[in-house]
Amino acid sequence: MRVPVSWLREFVDLPNDAAAIADRLAMLGFPVASIENRPSITGVVVGRIVELEKHPNADRLLVARVDVAGERPLTVATAATNVATGQTIALATIGARLPALTIEPRKMRGVASEGMMISAEELALPAEWFEDGIMQLDSTVELGENAIDVLGLETAVLDVEITSNRVDAMSVIGLARELAASYGVPLRLPSFSNPGTGAEPPGARPRVSIESADCVRFVAQRFGGIRVGAAPTWMRVRLALAGQRPINDIVDVSNYVMLETGQPLHFYDADRVSGAHFIVRDARNGEKIVTLDGVERILSEQALVIADEEHALGLAGLMGGMSSEVTDATTAMILEAANFNGARVRRMSSQLGLRTEASARHEKTLAPALAEIGAARAAQLLVAFGATAYEARAFGTQGAPPAPITLPVREVERLLGLDIPQARIIEHLEALGCSVLPEKADRLLVTPPLWRRDLLIAADLVEEIARMEGYDKIVPVVPSVAAHDVSSAQYDLEGRIARALAALGYREIITHSLRGAQPFERAARAGLAPDRDEVEVLNPLSEEQRFLRDSLVPGLIEYMATVNAPVRVFEIGHVFAQRDGRITERPALAFGFAAERLDEPAWRDAHFLELKGDCEAFLRDVTGRRDAVSAGARASFHPGKTALVSIDGREIGVIGRIDPRLERAYDAKLPVYVCSLDLEALPAYRLPHYRPPAKFPSTYRDLALIVDLDVTAQQIEGTIAGALGPICTGARVFDEYRGRQVGADRKSLAVRITLQRTDTTITDDDADAAIDRAIEVLREAFGAEIRA
Amino acid sequence: MSELATQLEELRRRFGNAVAGAPDEAGLEQVRIAYLGRNGEVTQVRRTIGRLPAHERPAAGKSINDAVGAMEAELQTAQARLESLTFQSELAESIDVTFPAIPAGAGSLNPVRRVIDDACTYFRRHGFAVVVGDEIESDYNNFDALNIPSDHPAREGFDSFWITATLLLRPHTSPVQIRTMQQHRPPIAIVAPGKCFRRDAVDARHLFQFHQIEGLLVAQGIHFGHLKGMLAEMCRELFGAQQSVRFRPSYFPFTEPSAEVDTTCPKCGGEGASCSMCGGSGWIELGGAGMVHPSVLREVGYDPDIYSGWAFGFGVERLALARYEVDDIRRFINGDPNFLEQLA
Repeated sequence: MRVPVSWLREFVDLPNDAAAIADRLAMLGFPVASIENRPSITGVVVGRIVELEKHPNADRLLVARVDVAGERPLTVATAATNVATGQTIALATIGARLPALTIEPRKMRGVASEGMMISAEELALPAEWFEDGIMQLDSTVELGENAIDVLGLETAVLDVEITSNRVDAMSVIGLARELAASYGVPLRLPSFSNPGTGAEPPGARPRVSIESADCVRFVAQRFGGIRVGAAPTWMRVRLALAGQRPINDIVDVSNYVMLETGQPLHFYDADRVSGAHFIVRDARNGEKIVTLDGVERILSEQALVIADEEHALGLAGLMGGMSSEVTDATTAMILEAANFNGARVRRMSSQLGLRTEASARHEKTLAPALAEIGAARAAQLLVAFGATAYEARAFGTQGAPPAPITLPVREVERLLGLDIPQARIIEHLEALGCSVLPEKADRLLVTPPLWRRDLLIAADLVEEIARMEGYDKIVPVVPSVAAHDVSSAQYDLEGRIARALAALGYREIITHSLRGAQPFERAARAGLAPDRDEVEVLNPLSEEQRFLRDSLVPGLIEYMATVNAPVRVFEIGHVFAQRDGRITERPALAFGFAAERLDEPAWRDAHFLELKGDCEAFLRDVTGRRDAVSAGARASFHPGKTALVSIDGREIGVIGRIDPRLERAYDAKLPVYVCSLDLEALPAYRLPHYRPPAKFPSTYRDLALIVDLDVTAQQIEGTIAGALGPICTGARVFDEYRGRQVGADRKSLAVRITLQRTDTTITDDDADAAIDRAIEVLREAFGAEIRA
Repeated sequence: MSELATQLEELRRRFGNAVAGAPDEAGLEQVRIAYLGRNGEVTQVRRTIGRLPAHERPAAGKSINDAVGAMEAELQTAQARLESLTFQSELAESIDVTFPAIPAGAGSLNPVRRVIDDACTYFRRHGFAVVVGDEIESDYNNFDALNIPSDHPAREGFDSFWITATLLLRPHTSPVQIRTMQQHRPPIAIVAPGKCFRRDAVDARHLFQFHQIEGLLVAQGIHFGHLKGMLAEMCRELFGAQQSVRFRPSYFPFTEPSAEVDTTCPKCGGEGASCSMCGGSGWIELGGAGMVHPSVLREVGYDPDIYSGWAFGFGVERLALARYEVDDIRRFINGDPNFLEQLA
């Protein structure tokens, strides 16, 4: 809310420094988003045109004599066309400094001009909101006065943020009240007595029938003698500073009163309210209304309308309707100052997608007592502008007054850790308008003021006391925390995983959990048919946010495609799926890299083996166990370079190269290798146990075997280990060869067999015998030939 | 001269030549093995002793031992010479130590995780546990249990992504408070970092997916001063010893009294009128905090007259933004390699 400091000053004395006021508001709970300092303008005074004649030497110029309450009127030449004798204007005298220029004595076509009459733009007001040409001041202001002070243009405008619980502070008076309480100075409230009197013409007395419990209060008041015109300049300037465009005196009064008191108002053309009878009721299903913004709206029973006996006139608390709008032809009107149930207004506002300054206040539930204050303030202003005010009539109830709250005095110290004497607690609460009675020795009975509907429990009062005392007075203490039984295990596991992968040279990234349909489209383009089990968002802001990811892999491929350079990354995050209406959420991990293509035969891929090595090291680090892989297939992965990863027989994920068709669909120029693991399937960490080194040395033998193409390293290693038993402490394939020398359907594998005895040093004879046994078994199992 | 003596003399001559000819220590070792090794020439000669008459054997043995002694001495001299030669050439090597390093395997944790880790480390030192929760939450845990019934104006502040009529992507980490309090009796001391989602338009200061870190301490005798104490020290831990912290009154339905927490802008130290990080205010907003609302405690079955507690919820990316002086919050999502490298 934009609040001109000069407007606040009408109600409370404030320091000169706008920044100090802003700080004070912030420390009261109303942060100031910006301080708009007004430009410094000097030498501009109020003057009246007492004489106006044509310029002797120029057709387009006029020469005015302007009375500024000096020794003599000043002579001013002007090219403006909206000037006339008797007008009160702002005159920049010789030496005056305006934002864009300094006024100096000069001759205009032979006439010495002693100043310049100025426009709204020269006062740094939005020119399009004011009259073309010279700005017209109110005739009541005193001549010779500083025009900047008179218009309240000298002080800054604060953009104040008001939390949703403090609708009472969504007004100049509301904020002035807070500042007065905080600075300990008086609040100068205007009189809220309504000047309306007397009886309306026959049949014109407004009546209100409240048919919905969501309307608490409705003040109706008739005004006659209306001639719609411009509002006085002081009001228009204030509204402009507050960011509200001046429209005409009627609209301006309703905006002005809303900004000043917080009570939204609405005016109806009295001739267009049938029978002067307002009915507050639920809308009928399908009922239509054209609102003031020109939109025809079709309503449901959810909407609350103000209607006359014939049709809906407006949406309660939200916006009036076109049919009863005040126009230039209006001569009599009826004011509505009402109070509605905030929740009802909020629902209606969100259903209709319509939000107004009025609904922003009504939806937070205003104090019913404010309705009469708003009506009175409007009546005072309208009467001052020449209207006739009839008696204001209030319908409905005042609502329940705020209930008294019992405040145990020790509660203040219990919650704040700050010992504030009881007298001071009472002082703070009273400054905010509460009435305080001692209930018992150590309890206070506190009744909040009518406008504070947010104060319901003792803790609310404690906050008020803390605000008045100042949060900065509360002494910081580091608490000692008692033992408790909440575990950090899951978080620790994630940290352990992240550090293990960082140590392996992977960088952690965070990609979007919400995604568009691209992963599916890309899979489709690659000729893959993905499982569509993703969870959908009902209200995404864009199509890019429609689905929750069901895998971390697409994000990783996308990242690598974007970077388009060798890079090693990982992500830990939740993945989501939906099966048979059941939504699951699981923690997952994916890591991998994009790497330059290697010049390798089709049956070898060092990148895969590197990733496998990282996977083994990672799982060893995180689980303390060794994993096993077996060839397998997964959509999105290369059919011949993919393995399923398992630990102790339980499958935990997949490792491999991404399907090259999918890489292309993502526009990834480099091959992408990814390991994707389900963190929930990861077994708990198992502590390693130390085994002392063997007492006797080991020996080894290398074998070159020729086997069929489909025999795997794992099979060879397993078979050897199985055949030899404990004497074999290792069997590891370390090389593969294919080529002419072994024939097209065979391959040569080199395997190193490590042999060791626990009881004595192994002899060459022992070793040779073992190797012979291994060879025999390999021959039998795989038809392996031994290469010389 | 006996045959043995001649043999030994011949052996020593050849040995001397071989030693002199050894180019380096490895060559010398070859020579040693050839002559003095287990199957070396000296051993061959020694084996011939057996064929001598018994009375000649001691003298023969002695002359062989003498020869071995002399050869070993010769070897030692040569060894010393070659050793110094080895070092001489090795020591003669010289490099440009200012040459660019071979980069180490460059893994790193995300700056978001680092901030979370550092904050959690601090809280754990003070006895807090770290709890994580699901990202899809019920509206009960997310709103109702936190004193935000439907139709409450504060729901608007949490513009959420909904999955079903009652499930949503959590817009804050506060439901972890509820889950933890439902499962445990006080005292409770937790921090809960995690991912959150809000339907915010993305710009340099806003993401629709971000991280929060939540804190909750509930026990007997916990007050606002404890909140100030913990958070002030946390800021000094994350940003440095000069850091000050400011608490401003604010409004959250789940805390009362409530506060917004600011800390000195680490970029300008609170001095920069035109600072791009804090907009000249000198302060960085960390997030909301306050004393847990009695309704929230009551909802999880805690007696608010016996227990009191505080909670806070801070935006992690906001913290990271200030901590690492990052110009645009969007960089944390899909952080490019250069960004990750700089903040590694």
